[in-house]
Amino acid sequence: ADPIVIKFSHVVAPDTPKGKAADKFKALAEEKTKGAVKVEVYPNSTLYKDKEEMEALQMGAVQMLAPSLAKFGPLGVKEFEVFDLPYIFRGYDDLHKVTQGEVGASLLAKLEPKGVKGLAYWDNGFKVMSAGKPLKAPEDYKGLKMRIQSSKVLEAQMRALGANPQVMPFSETYQALQTGVVDGTENPPSNLFTQKMHEVQKNATVTNHGYLGYAVIANKDFWEKLPEDVRKGLDEAMKESTDFANQIAKEENDKALEAVKASGKTEIYTPTEDETKAMQKALAPVHTEMAERIGKDVIDSVYSATGFDPSK
Amino acid sequence: MTALIIFTLLMLLMLTGMPVSIALGLTVMTFLFTMTNVPVESVALKLFTGIEKFEIMAIPFFILAGNFLTHGGVAKRMVNFATSMVGHWFGGLGLAGVVACALFAAVSGSSPATVVAIGSILLPAMVRAGFPKEFGAGVIASSGGLGILIPPSIVMVMYAVATNSSIGALFIAGVVPGLLLTVFLGGITWYRARKGNFPRQPKASWTQRLKAFNDSVWGLLLIIVVMGGIYTGIFTPTEAAAMSAVYAFVIAVFVYKDLSLKDIPRVLLNSASMSAMLLYIITNAVLFSFLLTNENIPQSLASWMTEQGMGIIVFLIAVNILLLMAGNFMEPSSIMLIFAPILFPMAIALGIHPVHFGIIMVVNMEIGMITPPVGLNLYVASGITKMGLSALTVAVLPWLFTMLAFLMLITYVPEISLWLPRVMGML
Amino acid sequence: MKWLDHLEEVLISALLAAATIVIFVAVVHRYASGLPLGAFQDFLLSIHLSWAQELCIILFVWMAKFGAAYGVRQGIHVGVDVVVNSLSPDNRRITTIIALCAGAFFTALVAVLGSNLVWHNGMAYAVLSTLGMETAPYYEGPTTPDLEWRTWVVYLAVPLGSALMCFRFLQVLVKYWQTGELPHHDHGHVEGLHDAEPFPVVEQKP
Ligand code: NA
Ligand code: NA
Repeated sequence: ADPIVIKFSHVVAPDTPKGKAADKFKALAEEKTKGAVKVEVYPNSTLYKDKEEMEALQMGAVQMLAPSLAKFGPLGVKEFEVFDLPYIFRGYDDLHKVTQGEVGASLLAKLEPKGVKGLAYWDNGFKVMSAGKPLKAPEDYKGLKMRIQSSKVLEAQMRALGANPQVMPFSETYQALQTGVVDGTENPPSNLFTQKMHEVQKNATVTNHGYLGYAVIANKDFWEKLPEDVRKGLDEAMKESTDFANQIAKEENDKALEAVKASGKTEIYTPTEDETKAMQKALAPVHTEMAERIGKDVIDSVYSATGFDPSK
Repeated sequence: MTALIIFTLLMLLMLTGMPVSIALGLTVMTFLFTMTNVPVESVALKLFTGIEKFEIMAIPFFILAGNFLTHGGVAKRMVNFATSMVGHWFGGLGLAGVVACALFAAVSGSSPATVVAIGSILLPAMVRAGFPKEFGAGVIASSGGLGILIPPSIVMVMYAVATNSSIGALFIAGVVPGLLLTVFLGGITWYRARKGNFPRQPKASWTQRLKAFNDSVWGLLLIIVVMGGIYTGIFTPTEAAAMSAVYAFVIAVFVYKDLSLKDIPRVLLNSASMSAMLLYIITNAVLFSFLLTNENIPQSLASWMTEQGMGIIVFLIAVNILLLMAGNFMEPSSIMLIFAPILFPMAIALGIHPVHFGIIMVVNMEIGMITPPVGLNLYVASGITKMGLSALTVAVLPWLFTMLAFLMLITYVPEISLWLPRVMGML
Repeated sequence: MKWLDHLEEVLISALLAAATIVIFVAVVHRYASGLPLGAFQDFLLSIHLSWAQELCIILFVWMAKFGAAYGVRQGIHVGVDVVVNSLSPDNRRITTIIALCAGAFFTALVAVLGSNLVWHNGMAYAVLSTLGMETAPYYEGPTTPDLEWRTWVVYLAVPLGSALMCFRFLQVLVKYWQTGELPHHDHGHVEGLHDAEPFPVVEQKP
């Protein structure tokens, strides 16, 4: 019989961590289902663009995606915006307690009424802040035009720092930074480096204040109609490629940070504990401000999964 | 095979004279309904999201700005300024026409608009001054092409959109070729005028020149608003387009006062319908290029080409011939939107720089605008001079050959296009 | 149908004007709020304009969809008419009628597909839940990221604009059938040329 075709569309280059992980999934899935499934990976938005892939998935025009977690707010599952909250994870350990634990699973389950089956979380990494000047204290952000992706939480975060958030597509950011349309931005090191933004930013601070990640999702009807054994094979493939994705994302970010340092074009600053405390304090109100929007229960469940104490 | 079906269908539909946009859309629909299992709902989605990109929004803004400039007395003052500077040389008003077109091109994004703006003022004046009609028509119709090569340029925006290239880098890359073509066109104008002993203007005094400059300075400042704004980082290209529309409105209505407030709704309506037409083509072209990608056509063409061992030189000749042929029958935006997604992957596979390739395509589009039977600049020039299309075709020949020579130069000397953006650190 | 013509014209002109103003204000705001103006800066920073780009895009897409319909009435859509013009009158008539029918067919198809998209993308849920009915097979549609408007409302431009465009094609078809006339936008037409004053060159040689 003809193999079942899975169109897996994403919006980044094939040699990025997500791109590589998607290719890995393709290889593993085809192997584990013994060819019962054929995965066609479409990188670089060749099939669907950022703005239309979600609707395309809901309509069944594409079977799998790995959108950024920020895409789920507009889908109506605002709970996912919890991942955007500044300083909610102290590191990968905290994060994986959520994404690989019950809280993560319950969040993915909330996608089902939207016709979306959540399969896994893939890391990109923790973000650094960059600009044309040193960023140490919260006051340093006052009046800066900071590029963000569309997100009410990130908007609130930049406002809490006194900055002027500018929503701008990722593709336009390099030029906007270069010419000075915006002053700074926030990115995981790998994005900073691969987009060459370090060439046009004098300073970056390893704040690790926020997390950027993806969820791998499938069309719910399609997924549930798959034969049991095929789905089992795909689940296994997904699990292995998730480990692969997270591992290379981490490596890639570490490498990128070193490469940025080595380039000498951006001065990398690691904040002291006191400076981080000051930033956390300045950004703590964002958690309360967004509680109504995201859902207090969701934020609390993340707190308790990671042992985070908002009063500290 | 698939490619053949798709293009045959498209060609057949287009030959009925239906709008290019509808022909593109119908081709996609026919194909999707009969040969693929892509849900057709995604087509409706793409009809919205196809133009849901902030970069594309530069187009309506540039059109609006252009209309304010055309009706707002800016062109007239630029013509005066250009005449005072070069009118006394051989070629007189003709040479002034080339310079005025270049100046107007630096504030407007469209070629026909440049022909209209400069030609409607200068052509009657040239005839009155004793130039043969053919000479004037040739100068203006060809120099109008500068409108899309000298930034800003709507056609460049379309190329950037179709290929995901940087609008800013393309704009900057157009500067040197634009100036060079101005020199080329000026040269042939000068040569022909000298040979034909056409009239020259008396040399203007520096006082007169200064006055002419002063009169046109508000229009010239727009160059700084647009290009300066983009390169100092005050605006993104789209924002610069919007700001230039506001600026052009202010100078047309409040400074030069050649346009009154009651004219504004008409200018808005004309700009909106012209923009809507272009956006509608873009939408359907996006749909068409989605179909091509979905069928893997550009990729397989690119790999076929590498397998054939086709080199850069042969490829570029083929591209130029193809585009010049297309330029005979279609207008620039449709050509750009249909061909860029197909040719671009091949060009990249051969190692041609995306920005250089964009400039090559733009120069081809310029030439297409003065070749019959479909040549927008010819139509405009014929509207002004009341000359027939065949007479005009003959009239533009010297400039056409000059532009073909220029095209060869641009095609095989990438540095003409790439030098400036590289120096400015944009590549 | 005068009112419809008029509405169409006012709508697309207003959308273009509105988009221009929105971007102008957003740019001015971006720079003004970067200036150290004390309390006034805080006031400016408290104004949220991050939705400006999104709004501009929505305004222009609506302008494009309805403007395309206006364009049919004006004959502004460019086509390749070289071959048609060289045909015998009879053949030309047939070809033109085919082309117009194709236009009407395509736009009707898009109107139907677009309605279907809008319906499944959240309109069904909105309508059914407003009527207090079972929403079961439908889900609440997404919103736009910045303005958080329902995307189905935004996407309405596709079916509405296309339906209007289809109507325009049919109008043109009927007129052509009866009179043999097509609306023709002369891209070479130069407006205001007749009233162009003789421009003052430096000095005209006799
Ligand atoms: Na231009
Ligand atoms: Na032509």
